[in-house]
Amino acid sequence: MADSNKENPEKGQFYWKSLKEFHDDPASAEAKANEFMAGVTDDFKLSGMSDMSRRKFLALLTASASFAAASCSTYPSKGEVIPYNKEPRGVIPGIANYYASTCTGCNQACGILVKTREGRPIKINGNDEHPVNKGKICARGQASILNLYDPERIREPQKKSGSSFSKSSWASANGTIISALSAAVSSGKEIAVVMKTLLSPTAKKAFDEFAAKYPTVKLYSYEFFSNVNRNSAWKKSYGSEQFPLISWDKAKLILALEADFLGNEGNMIEQTRMFVETRNNGDIKNFSRLVVAESEVSITGMNADIRLSLHPEEQYNFVMSLLHEFVVKRQVSRFALDRNVVNTLQDFSLEKFAERNGIDQKSLKGLVSYMSKYKDSSIVYAGDRLPESVHIAVNFLNEVLGSTRLYRENQANIELLAYSTAQDWEGLVSKMMSGNVEVVIHYDSNPVYHLPEDYGYAAALGKVSTIVTLAQTENESSAASQWLLPINHDLESWNDFQTRTGLYSLQQPVIYPLYTTRQKEAIVITWASGNESAYHDTLYHEYLMNRWQKEVYPSMKLAVDFKTFWYSALHDGVVSFVEKPEGWDSYKVESFTSLPTPSTSKGYSVVLAESYVLGDGRFASNGWLQELPHPVTKVVWDNYAALSPDTAKELGVDYNDLVEVRIDNRKQKLPVFIQPGMARKVVAIELGYGRTNAGTVGTGIGVNANVFLSKKGSFSQWIYSDAAVSKVNGKYELVTTMEHYSIDNIFNKDIQFTRGIIREGTIDEYEKDPNFIQVEREADKPVSIYKKFEYNGIKWAMSIDLNKCTGCSACVISCNVENNIPVVGKDQVKVSREMQWLRIDRYYSGTPVEPKISLQPMLCQQCDNATCENVCPVAATTHSPDGLNMMVYNRCVGTRYCSNNCPYKVRRFNFFNFRYHFDGGYYAQQPVEMVNNPEVTVRTRGVMEKCTFCVQRIVEARQEALQDGRKFKGSDVVTACQEACPADAIIFGDMNDPNSDVSKMREHPLGYYALEELGTKPNVTYLAKLRNI
Amino acid sequence: MNRTLLEYTLRVRVPVLIFVAMTSITVTYFVTRPAREGIGYAPKQPIAFSHKLHVGTMKIDCAYCHIGVYRSRYAVVPAVSTCMNCHTIAKKTQPVIIKLTKYYDEGKPIPWKRVQKLPDYVYFSHSFHVNTGIKCQDCHGRVQDMDVIKQVSSFTMSACLDCHRNAPQRLSYIPNVKPGPTYCVACHR
Repeated sequence: MADSNKENPEKGQFYWKSLKEFHDDPASAEAKANEFMAGVTDDFKLSGMSDMSRRKFLALLTASASFAAASCSTYPSKGEVIPYNKEPRGVIPGIANYYASTCTGCNQACGILVKTREGRPIKINGNDEHPVNKGKICARGQASILNLYDPERIREPQKKSGSSFSKSSWASANGTIISALSAAVSSGKEIAVVMKTLLSPTAKKAFDEFAAKYPTVKLYSYEFFSNVNRNSAWKKSYGSEQFPLISWDKAKLILALEADFLGNEGNMIEQTRMFVETRNNGDIKNFSRLVVAESEVSITGMNADIRLSLHPEEQYNFVMSLLHEFVVKRQVSRFALDRNVVNTLQDFSLEKFAERNGIDQKSLKGLVSYMSKYKDSSIVYAGDRLPESVHIAVNFLNEVLGSTRLYRENQANIELLAYSTAQDWEGLVSKMMSGNVEVVIHYDSNPVYHLPEDYGYAAALGKVSTIVTLAQTENESSAASQWLLPINHDLESWNDFQTRTGLYSLQQPVIYPLYTTRQKEAIVITWASGNESAYHDTLYHEYLMNRWQKEVYPSMKLAVDFKTFWYSALHDGVVSFVEKPEGWDSYKVESFTSLPTPSTSKGYSVVLAESYVLGDGRFASNGWLQELPHPVTKVVWDNYAALSPDTAKELGVDYNDLVEVRIDNRKQKLPVFIQPGMARKVVAIELGYGRTNAGTVGTGIGVNANVFLSKKGSFSQWIYSDAAVSKVNGKYELVTTMEHYSIDNIFNKDIQFTRGIIREGTIDEYEKDPNFIQVEREADKPVSIYKKFEYNGIKWAMSIDLNKCTGCSACVISCNVENNIPVVGKDQVKVSREMQWLRIDRYYSGTPVEPKISLQPMLCQQCDNATCENVCPVAATTHSPDGLNMMVYNRCVGTRYCSNNCPYKVRRFNFFNFRYHFDGGYYAQQPVEMVNNPEVTVRTRGVMEKCTFCVQRIVEARQEALQDGRKFKGSDVVTACQEACPADAIIFGDMNDPNSDVSKMREHPLGYYALEELGTKPNVTYLAKLRNI
Repeated sequence: MNRTLLEYTLRVRVPVLIFVAMTSITVTYFVTRPAREGIGYAPKQPIAFSHKLHVGTMKIDCAYCHIGVYRSRYAVVPAVSTCMNCHTIAKKTQPVIIKLTKYYDEGKPIPWKRVQKLPDYVYFSHSFHVNTGIKCQDCHGRVQDMDVIKQVSSFTMSACLDCHRNAPQRLSYIPNVKPGPTYCVACHR
């Protein structure tokens, strides 16, 4: 047969499987004839099989299945309902309770309002009653709630045995420590307590008692970034201790020198609020002008009307040149007659300064004429990291301009315990080395990580016999300790804080300590009593109340009894009273004329900045913050050496290349990030990264640039001159949530303007024609092919004022906490799988040397004609009659068509169950799920999600209105992002209510919609930014 | 031969097959319905609490124990302390009350068997419904007649929607009642 086919191809094609078959091997023919290959059926023996017939088997199968079905008449269990045993007062399941407290995420001690559900805290908001932060709280403060539920919090006292810690008990820990303390006193050796800023007067009293019991106690305090230079300069200029607070809201011109008052310096919440009061598009006559001269690009720099990139060492010359202009050339103050002043200034001039730094003369002329126009309303503000000499010169400039009237006389900062000086630390280390320190107590501080290495602190610890660290989680300093005592989180603590005159801020616990931790002050009081048995649960609570009853309450001279006063104080979280700040003397001109000229740099300068997300590194183990895109660079999970494009070209490096930065003999390798707008020959590095002992999440994230710190400092403690920078081999990939800058890319250049995503102008343009942005909008207004849907009743809308948004990112974290957004990790952000529902887009325009920066918070626009809804094959995203673009998780099958079709790219897909996927399921551990908002579904893998306009809050507000029998209004709802925005840039409400703020914004001449020409009809109105230039 | 086989198939086999399939689907649907929807579920509770006695005879208001019903999403199953408001004195020698007191004294909650349950992705609110004027009995049946609490209504989405769509007919005792919302985020979010 085969032959005939082979030889007669026209009969059909012959297919062959092997050459043997082709050549008609007999074995091959036999194999074809048999069903099974030889040997396969050898094991099959009929006799060995069961004798049950197939019919019988099927009958039995059917019978058993039907019996099983018949026995299923019982219902599946629905589990149990576990009620309370004793009904807690004021707690109704399903209804949130709020408690006023205080945040200690930094040394500003802002008032917070903690939202709890069924007794567990789930969100931190600002306390409306607090006069400083007025209901707002920064990103770090909000994210600190995750630290409460950190699975790696220490749960009981730990004792070092060998190189690792093992469980111990409070009794044995305190017994040992108390006897060590007593031994230290009897041998006359020092007990050193190392702490950060002391903010609590009651804690101070506890330390006074502690020092009375153990006379050799010495307190050392530090802050990684502080305003010591500003305060010491102030003291030299005006004689008082504290630099005054500033009336930012009254300023017409703010000249910020290397100062980040909208970011990391001072109380950024208060400063942002006061600053944006002068950026009101309804009052352009009083619009302020913000001029920023800085070396790196900060949040303040992003918001500048005019931004000069200036080498940090040139700031001194800049101030002196301005002084020369005003005092010598324009003779604007009485100091023009002071020969010493004139002599000091004679070598400086603005022309020389401009020439040396390549700055346009015209922009400086403009600045000077603006300054002389608004003399006493022009505040010059130098940054914390500039040296004392610059601050002294700036104080003089403000004195000359008369802008000292912007210093607030009604309130001032208070310092309970002065920071230790370099001499103090050197003294401590030498005493430790010589064996004169018996006990070192790290009181919620981390000096091993924070102190400059050249103090030799870590090495000196080796000579101390008893080292005790009080901390919530392990850190670099606890690793060097014998005892690690776990302390309460803020939300488990009692305390009072005083950071300003006339104001107490109270802290109360909102949850019983989750573990056998103790309040750190209570530990000190126990030690002071010399007896472990003195401790009880309410020790510090009673101590605090006693102090208030004996010391605070009488001075208030109130008509109510103490209990009433105390409960109302706890309810409000703040107590305001009349307290006159100490004031300051008249200006001491000799501070200025005796000013030493600061050094200048020949090589590169290294600017060390505080991380916007990690603070001084204490939030390294907080996934939400690590994943919060840097407000300027949008980099996540890393720090880097930021270089200007020119400098990068000189060094021959590109993004993700490594450079070695060397200052004297201190060096570190860092990845390069090219940052448009940076000053030339400057390397800016954020500190707070490179922790070696910060738990699973924080350890080894970023590079430890603390190695550059030196006890002597250089230009200042945070600015180092004469650094060497060189390219080294290797790559390190940085991950950003926005593409690297595309200013030079002709495809992307100014895409934000060409597509009308960002519309902005100057106040002059606006004054001339308030509708100037509408003119370009006309062309974009599309004709719709859809039938118009009538929205009767409430229709939700949002407006975002780009004049006010500073890019601080508090809204992003607020959204994360409110809506149970998971942490995904750097590897997932790299492939654009970040889950934040709200992002802040940052666009550059202009040139890489002098970029203009535009910001735009981008979230689901809740389009009327939503493109996502049309393509969902299962109708999991549809439109509600109140204008919401709904996302139904339980219906979503994960086709991702909607995300593909969304022009705003605001939909987020759960590629994994991220809680299990991130870091080996770190955030799937107990008790992290306690942070979840029970009103919002925790999304699982394969589900699309996006901003819902906080629909859970809308439903809750509607429910409350129904209960109270009133009409539900749009203003009853506050979204999480709106609640957090320190600038009040976000307004939410009912656009069908003509009196609502949001409907007015929709009619505002500056209002526009992003990508309007697509015809999506978004419900988020952006108010165009106006620049005062 | 072929012709008769076709005839046999069409006349006998296909109708029988259709009949068997339809019967089994119908029977399965009805037999399993209570279990699917939970209607008639009346599990044995750890304490034999009688709603008939407390609500029917003694006329205690529902919200006396179910404190959340007007204010919260949850009606709230009462704490043991709520029972003890009366039972520290009332009937305290009866075995069931002794058992109750034991729970209270030991600080343990009573592990009530859950009778009515909605899936986790449904954000039902008692407050909305009760404040609109809907009677508890409309969903929970005549609880005042039940010695052992049991589920009487179906809590499926179609049951919810049936009432939401036809509220004026179903809830004719409430003047001017409007149909309930039927868009997704009214319940799912």
